[in-house]
Amino acid sequence: MSDKIENSKNVTSETKGDSAIRVMGSRDINKLRTSAKIGKGAGMVLTYIFLIFIAVVVLFPFYWMIISSLKTLDEYKLSVPTLFPETIVFGNYAEAFTQANLGRLFLNTVYVGLVSTILSLVITVLSAFAFARLEFKGKNALFAVLLATMMIPGELFTITNYQTVFYLNWMNTFTVLIVPFLVSVFYIYLLKQNFMQIPNELYLAAKVDGTSDLKYLWRVMIPLSLPTLISITILKMMGAWNSYVWPNLVTDSDEYRLITNGLRNAFVESTGDVNIPVQMAAVAIVSAPLFLVFLFLRKYIMKGVSRSGIKG
Amino acid sequence: MKRILSIILAVAMCMSVLLLAGCGRKKIADADLSGAYDGSEVTITFYHTMSATNLQPVLGDAIARFNELYPKITVEHKQVGDYDAVRNQIKTELTVGGQPNIAYCYPDHVALYNVAKAVVPLDDLMASTVEVTRADGTKEIMGLTEEQIGNYIEGFFNEGRAFGDGKMYTLPFSKSTEVLYYNKTFFEANNLSVPTTWDEMEALCETIKGIAPNSTPLGYDSENNWFITMCEQYGSPYTSATKVDGTNYLFDNETNHAFVEKFASWYAKGWVTTKELSGGYTSDAFKKAEGELGKSYMSIGSSAGAVHQAPDQVNGEYPFEVGIVPIPQVDPANPKVISQGPSVCIFQQENPQEVYASWLLVKFLTTDVEFQASFSEASGYVPAIKNVNDDEIYKEFLDSADGFKTGIAAYSAKVCLEQEKAYYVSPAFNGSSTARDEVGLLMQSCFSNYENAADKMAMIKEKFAAAIEECEY
Amino acid sequence: MSVSKLTLKRDRFEAKTKQFRTKIKFDQWKGWVYLAPCIALLLVFTGWPIVNTLAMAFQNGYDTMEWISGIDFTIGIDNFLKVISYSGFKDCLFNTILLCVITVPISTILALLIAVCLNSIKFLSRFLQTIYFLPYVTNSIAIGMVFAAMFNMVGTAFGGQNELIQSAGIINNILGIFGVEPINWINEGSGYWENIFVMSFYIIWNALPFKILILLGGLQSVNKQYYDAAKIDSTPKWRVFTKITVPLLSPMIAYVVITGFIGGFKEYSSIVGIFGDDMGPTGDPRRLNTMVGYIYNFIDERQGQASAAALILFGIIFIVTMINLYVSKKKTHF
Repeated sequence: MSDKIENSKNVTSETKGDSAIRVMGSRDINKLRTSAKIGKGAGMVLTYIFLIFIAVVVLFPFYWMIISSLKTLDEYKLSVPTLFPETIVFGNYAEAFTQANLGRLFLNTVYVGLVSTILSLVITVLSAFAFARLEFKGKNALFAVLLATMMIPGELFTITNYQTVFYLNWMNTFTVLIVPFLVSVFYIYLLKQNFMQIPNELYLAAKVDGTSDLKYLWRVMIPLSLPTLISITILKMMGAWNSYVWPNLVTDSDEYRLITNGLRNAFVESTGDVNIPVQMAAVAIVSAPLFLVFLFLRKYIMKGVSRSGIKG
Repeated sequence: MKRILSIILAVAMCMSVLLLAGCGRKKIADADLSGAYDGSEVTITFYHTMSATNLQPVLGDAIARFNELYPKITVEHKQVGDYDAVRNQIKTELTVGGQPNIAYCYPDHVALYNVAKAVVPLDDLMASTVEVTRADGTKEIMGLTEEQIGNYIEGFFNEGRAFGDGKMYTLPFSKSTEVLYYNKTFFEANNLSVPTTWDEMEALCETIKGIAPNSTPLGYDSENNWFITMCEQYGSPYTSATKVDGTNYLFDNETNHAFVEKFASWYAKGWVTTKELSGGYTSDAFKKAEGELGKSYMSIGSSAGAVHQAPDQVNGEYPFEVGIVPIPQVDPANPKVISQGPSVCIFQQENPQEVYASWLLVKFLTTDVEFQASFSEASGYVPAIKNVNDDEIYKEFLDSADGFKTGIAAYSAKVCLEQEKAYYVSPAFNGSSTARDEVGLLMQSCFSNYENAADKMAMIKEKFAAAIEECEY
Repeated sequence: MSVSKLTLKRDRFEAKTKQFRTKIKFDQWKGWVYLAPCIALLLVFTGWPIVNTLAMAFQNGYDTMEWISGIDFTIGIDNFLKVISYSGFKDCLFNTILLCVITVPISTILALLIAVCLNSIKFLSRFLQTIYFLPYVTNSIAIGMVFAAMFNMVGTAFGGQNELIQSAGIINNILGIFGVEPINWINEGSGYWENIFVMSFYIIWNALPFKILILLGGLQSVNKQYYDAAKIDSTPKWRVFTKITVPLLSPMIAYVVITGFIGGFKEYSSIVGIFGDDMGPTGDPRRLNTMVGYIYNFIDERQGQASAAALILFGIIFIVTMINLYVSKKKTHF
């Protein structure tokens, strides 16, 4: 009964609203503006609802990682998972840190990540510049070939590459962790697209003024594509952080191992099961600095964006 | 344009040729192994899956004692993730001759390495009577004495010879089998007797389902072990290391159809489940609280995982006591149980001294009572040799056996050791791991599709044929 | 600046440009110098493996282990025939293409929407951006397990259809609030399309951060003037979106679509993440197997066959990318 009353109320208010719009529409421009504002406000609310909904969906696994890291192994293995740990165990974190020699692995990973990111950026910028701005014969054919290599499942390269680095005597060095993956066609493609958005006239003008290519690259192209370069940096760092198969294959001492290798190997129980809560705790520990670095880099993304206003 | 292209092509060709030359295949040759370790400096590597916290210290102690005898042999050991990781790493390393000296292995892995003829046959080394002098002045023969060979548990030892060519490739390191864990408290309260045959098991499942309708009386952890063990118990063909009528895969036969049909009907009645079908370890169902949906009262799983089968204390008391017995049999007079757990194999190397040194270490680890005893205590696996039972400390360990969390590892080790005559060995060949995977999947899909199939036997036959096709492909 | 002045400037500019073009011929070598490090590394670590892959694919029954043991193989196309004759190959191909066709458009549109929304708000914008990128700092195994747990129906610790079903997964619980019966998403006895739904959901979820990152980066480097002009003209929002945002972002959109397709054809680990190595729900293994899944099946023991399958996959991706590039060339505004 009360439902019905509610309903009828709604109906009347709707009709009222309708007529109000009609009245407004016929008369006052100022009021139209306010209604536009209301519309805009409603749009904003919808935008926020949408964004927050997505955020919740995105966040959930992260939440899961944290709560799993606080569970006991027995609780984790329950076939019906619990949404919140019945007993909170912080011990997993302590165990993770001591068991996996995280300190050393951490330093290794930072070193490999930084060096490979810097070198990779240099190579990517030079290559993207050549593809975007320089004219030479065979350019398009070469670019097509590069794109084509992107499509081959990389897993098939592993065996051959392993043989190569073995004969180059690179086993158990940082070189073997850095060099084979310096070139990424993905990044070159991405940056080339970005470079091409910068009007060619700027480059030609610089040529006319006698500015050298490198100077132009440094002064104009790089600042203008900073957001993309930072995106690449993030992706590359993540790559170093998450690589597993290759480092596991080519290094066998903690001196050169990377963090994921430590993560996977350290928590195998005598029965061959992996103690996932401890592993999750380790993943959380390892993710934290990455997360901070990411926050830090985001400022630069904003700066890059504001600087790119000069173009055109 | 043409000139540049031709330059690129030339460079590419040069590199290819260079690399091809560099990658010239490194053939692995059968070395002559009639000599002995000459006391020279060698470094040998050992790949395993032992965790750094509880098992590596045990290995470290043993290596220290080994080094007192052979100080010039440096042993570098390394945990390479789990068993599959060990296999994958060695497989890749074999392509360039970078394989380790010794590795943890399962028969399937050895079959794979042996496609490249990379594993050292141990027959010559075992039979060698050449003497070596140890650092303390004492001597030992390179080979194994009669007594030492007889000391290995036969079923475990025979696994090393299951490769179809009659040669010995592995020695057992530490082993486990499947045992039946049952809820002793529940069995005693309801006056149930523990099953020794599958027929008794069938009746028992029906009884338990009557007592506790919400329960799934039996959980069997591994489908593929179940299938292979049933083949052994019925004496029906599974696979063969050498081809019979052009195939290695012999499991598509009527006996096997029949037992799969029987167990699938159990599954449909809610009497049994497996790890994959239930989506969780069967030990979890076994440990569930009384009356909880899907609680099981029996669980068949690895003897090395005993600690996971015993429930934790609730309010200072154990919810129930666990009993452990051998798994049910088709013919109790001729029992068959699976043998699992790592063996070790030695890889071919250019320097025969490395092979000799590796052999000495393998021999030491698999015959040393102290190591075998302490490793068993730390890991839950049972020793590969019999005279460990005479060891005082190990005896003490076995005496601590009981049906609760604290003593269950010892209890399962005890039950495991009592079955030394029952271990069977299934043949290993290139493709045997595929067969293992396929029969496991076969069990799953037969169980899963049983209830809704109009013609159940036809469905089962179809799944068998599909599994054979996958194996043969 | 007046229009005439601008034309004057442009004329002068073009004159110089012509002069400059002649110089370009002498700059031929420069491109190669810039590309030298890139090409050298690619030759060794990509070029040579490709040559090797080709070599393996065309040796009948090639197997690295057998090769080491001293066996030589005959040259031929047996490996390719074997791949095509496999009864499950069609399913692999179908699954791969289906997942691509579903996930790439949806994830691109969703990422575009999110990026545009993010770009249009101030409050919480930075906070939300940070959240959207979080998947990068979690471990993919963990994420796969979480999704499996979310869609899980029961820990069916007991068989039989007529037994009680206890719904456990978050998704079914949420659906339950709206009165929807629990759906068997991924467990034993689940339907193919339910499986595909879960996979698509996971793949899209996985693909979003990268796409948002790229598209937002693109959006933020778009010249604000275009929008200011639109504001003055009080152009409706959706028109701004279709007439300004999308065209200006077209290079980035082309990029995420192309890489999305390439990644989609290589789909594998996400399926393992949810369904495990069997690539299908319990009782129906290999139901969701993909091309890369096929390659992995044989990479251990029959590298010849795996290589042949990889080449077939390459062929397919190559064709699709060429089509993509052709379309994007027509549609994008550089």
